[in-house]
Amino acid sequence: MQNIKDTVKEVVYAIIPLSLVVIVLQFTMIGMPMEMFMQFIMGVIFVSIGLILFLLGVHIGLLPVGEMIGSALPKMGKAWLVVFFGFLLGFVATVAEPDVRVLAIQVDLVSDGIISRNILIYTVALGVAIFVGLAMLRILLNFPITYLLVGGYGLVFLLAAFTPAQFIPISFDAGGVTTGPMTVPFILALGVGVASVLRGKSASTDGFGLVALASIGPILAVLVLGVIYG
Amino acid sequence: MNINIFEGFGHVLYEVAFALIPLLIFFLFFQIFILKLPMKKLMDIFRGMFLTFWGLAFFLQGVHIGFLPAGEMMGTILGQKEHLWVLIPIGFLLGFVATFAEPAVRILNHEVEKVSGGYIPRKVMLYTLSIGVAISIALSMLRIIVGIPLWYFIIPGYLLALIMIKFSTRTFTAIAFDSGGVATGPMTVTFIVAMSVGIATVLEGRDPLLDGFGMIALVALSPILSVLTLGLLYGRKEKGNERTFESES
Repeated sequence: MQNIKDTVKEVVYAIIPLSLVVIVLQFTMIGMPMEMFMQFIMGVIFVSIGLILFLLGVHIGLLPVGEMIGSALPKMGKAWLVVFFGFLLGFVATVAEPDVRVLAIQVDLVSDGIISRNILIYTVALGVAIFVGLAMLRILLNFPITYLLVGGYGLVFLLAAFTPAQFIPISFDAGGVTTGPMTVPFILALGVGVASVLRGKSASTDGFGLVALASIGPILAVLVLGVIYG
Repeated sequence: MNINIFEGFGHVLYEVAFALIPLLIFFLFFQIFILKLPMKKLMDIFRGMFLTFWGLAFFLQGVHIGFLPAGEMMGTILGQKEHLWVLIPIGFLLGFVATFAEPAVRILNHEVEKVSGGYIPRKVMLYTLSIGVAISIALSMLRIIVGIPLWYFIIPGYLLALIMIKFSTRTFTAIAFDSGGVATGPMTVTFIVAMSVGIATVLEGRDPLLDGFGMIALVALSPILSVLTLGLLYGRKEKGNERTFESES
């Protein structure tokens, strides 16, 4: 019960400030039609209800699952299995990620369906999957994250030279949206689980950094998609 | 007055189901072959997934009927104003408020506080991230108004970040790069991006695909820089504390 009360409070506190800013702007300088304004208010109510249910669901169901799978993985003993399941987990979590979907919908609309939402979602998911797999490999081999970050971004800048200009903002945006309310708890829990089972490592250093790597993957994947389209 | 609250809700339910099914299959595989959780725990997890399903459905519906159209219209109206510079303070304000409100940011702050043993308080993280995002949305507005290519911000930004890594501790490097993505949650992605696409659509000489997007990229970059800065400020203290942690554990 306490959990529910806290979550409701958190979401309400979280949404009221943004909505208040928009309401104040509406009456001072925007003045959109009343119908649209009411749609916005209904949107606020729906998003609030949605976030409350979602966060409760994440707490009850997804965080424990992520942690359990995270700590079960290294016990399988085979490194390639950890990497493979890390890959799969990255993929399924990204497909379920609301932010990725919202960005894909917007890109689909703005590009008149040329970059369709499903193509973008699966490209991004593949990018995340590959990099979560790499991140697992990094934790296993105790490879410093800095090398992967520098190498990854180096590759990003290289690929960006060969991709059509329109794909560049989208690709970097895709890197940001993969780290939303679904992927973050799942991947963080996975990393903390894997790192805490492997002895003699700081959970802080190895668990974190996963989200960072998960956001390079989609940038690269969308840039490659751009090269294919171009 | 004609307000369409449940328009397309069936489609949203269908979409959410397809979004969650891979995750469910993945979990069931682990449950059957590896985890073998007792019934009671399993029921908790299914209850959690059920809540997640409806949560996502309502969230996406709210985005569809409210945030996307209203955000875009707001952008269209603001983009036609005579004094375009007002977009910059508005961007700052929205960025601050959206990040302050972001559930994913709260999850990260909580995990960071837990893992660092309360050493990095969640309040400090929250304010650092919020101001970082506020600045980057203000810059994005400037970018759309003036028509500066994304490169001019991204390259120096990441170079600066890579240089700062050299002086930062490993822990802060990891946290910084994580927080970059975390700050770009549903509020920013839905409302503020819709607004910037709206602005880029009405401004002459701007391509919404080229200028309207790219904001999330800047939003992801600026918290990286602010947390790395925080890391440098805390840096000396942390080195002393790490020794204490080791002797305790």
